[in-house]
Amino acid sequence: MSTLALSTRRVTGLSRTNALLMMRNRLTLTYAVVMPLLPLLLLFNGERGDVDAGAAAISTGLLMALMFPIYYNLLSMFVTRRDELVLKRLRTGEVTDRDLVVSMAAPGVAITVVVTVLTIVVAMVTGLPFPLNPVLLLVSVLIGCLAFVALALWTASWTRTAEAAQLTSLPVVLIATLGLFGPFFPESAQRWVSLLPSAAVDDLVRITWFGRPGELGSSEQFGFLTTWGEALPALGVLVAWTVLSVWLAKRSMHWEPRS
Amino acid sequence: MPEPTSGNAIEVRDLRRVYGRGAQSFEAVRGIDLDVAPGTIHALLGVNGAGKTSTLEVIEGLARPSSGEVRVLGMDPVTDRADVRRRTGVLLQRSGFVADLTVAETLQMWASTVTDARPVGESMEMLDLVDRAGTRMRALSGGEQRRVDLACTLMGRPDVVMLDEPTTGLDPESRRHVWRLVRGLRDEGATVLLTTHYLEEAEALAEQISIMRRGAVVRSGTPAQIVADQPSEITFATPSVPPPCLRGGHAGRDGDLTVLQVDDLQPALTELLRWAEERDVRLDRLAARTASLESVFLTIAAEEDHS
Repeated sequence: MSTLALSTRRVTGLSRTNALLMMRNRLTLTYAVVMPLLPLLLLFNGERGDVDAGAAAISTGLLMALMFPIYYNLLSMFVTRRDELVLKRLRTGEVTDRDLVVSMAAPGVAITVVVTVLTIVVAMVTGLPFPLNPVLLLVSVLIGCLAFVALALWTASWTRTAEAAQLTSLPVVLIATLGLFGPFFPESAQRWVSLLPSAAVDDLVRITWFGRPGELGSSEQFGFLTTWGEALPALGVLVAWTVLSVWLAKRSMHWEPRS
Repeated sequence: MPEPTSGNAIEVRDLRRVYGRGAQSFEAVRGIDLDVAPGTIHALLGVNGAGKTSTLEVIEGLARPSSGEVRVLGMDPVTDRADVRRRTGVLLQRSGFVADLTVAETLQMWASTVTDARPVGESMEMLDLVDRAGTRMRALSGGEQRRVDLACTLMGRPDVVMLDEPTTGLDPESRRHVWRLVRGLRDEGATVLLTTHYLEEAEALAEQISIMRRGAVVRSGTPAQIVADQPSEITFATPSVPPPCLRGGHAGRDGDLTVLQVDDLQPALTELLRWAEERDVRLDRLAARTASLESVFLTIAAEEDHS
């Protein structure tokens, strides 16, 4: 398993370079920070402190924070660098595959965490409460990051070029959005929709921030301690997507362009 | 499996590499043996498609052999990956860099991945890159990029250096620079295995040469050994009188030239000239030369065309 060993020194060095490149690429950075905060702006228009509207805006924002800085960013970085033989070159040295993946994902994860904190600030400005269980919220976001890193690797494993990524990312765009529209699906489909990562993120926002169960309109309200147990199924969904994506990615992953 | 006890820096035994499966499969490397002594330069010479890169990739640990055994510094490049990589430097035939990074940033990044890395400034001095430190990789010429690539290869002061066509695409001056660098590495005790399709490069650098053809090593030894058992050649414009049959010789035609291949050049040439004088035959465009690496190489290439 030596190709998988992780080195802090190598990961720090490579991550620093990747962060530098991200700072240099203003467009990526703008998308990564601005897109997740856009849905929250809608809250300034509506009724102050409306929990359902607030939860929807926050969920949408956090999913954008998982899609742009994590998913799209890692997918395009991976595919482009594979195409340009950068990954092949790095893999001739001491760098392990795990070093490469972690260091390419790290700057995006940092941005997502910052965006999560900004989300809390903006939400409170619009009159929403401080998250009931902020630690669990952060844990949920980090596990969400893991799931979308894995989804990006899976997509990269069968994407040939950076241009092709515009199409190959569509399945993930679907599973990252449909879950927000659970209530609009027929009853029989809702159980399946709730297994999407987007539904899991939505559930986790409602549970950890507002102490409400996933179902829309429910007036049930639980306390801080209950949130831990209530969050488990949704966290399980994210972990399952992570495991599935990593397993699929490993089966067909390649590190240099296919000839 | 023979035990690697000889103390060679690189040992390869009956290496095979097959691409694809079943009817579609292609055997790129067909049972190669290779021994590279510590502190020497060994060249794998061959035309494109001879299997040089396929062989090197296995020795570098980038690919697994289909069968056979590879030892680098006595270790397995795949299972002992971390230990082998710490002591080896690899230059790929083609590789890429992040276009938006400067030369210094690229080397800094590479240094962060290397155990006990050379200082970046020293690396840039070695490869004559100091005045390009702040230039983005995208703005470098092909030769300059190759030098950055080499700087990465040598960043960890490797004991074994593996270079896949190190000077392809370089201008003559840069090529000489790389040659001096490679000799310098050897003089400091490093072992160098390189591939090339330039005969003069193999001749200029290597103590040992293995000539590859169709996935197999067809000749190997020192440059002197390789040419030793090759016939010398006498050529001249075919005269109107048929030339004599020389002892141990073999006559052929190359256009309007007669080509005589002989084992021992001097007596054969004496015999030919005496014959010409006796018959009063003028041998136009007369040329005689002992075997060179080039003639061996061309002979091997010709064998390929006819087989």
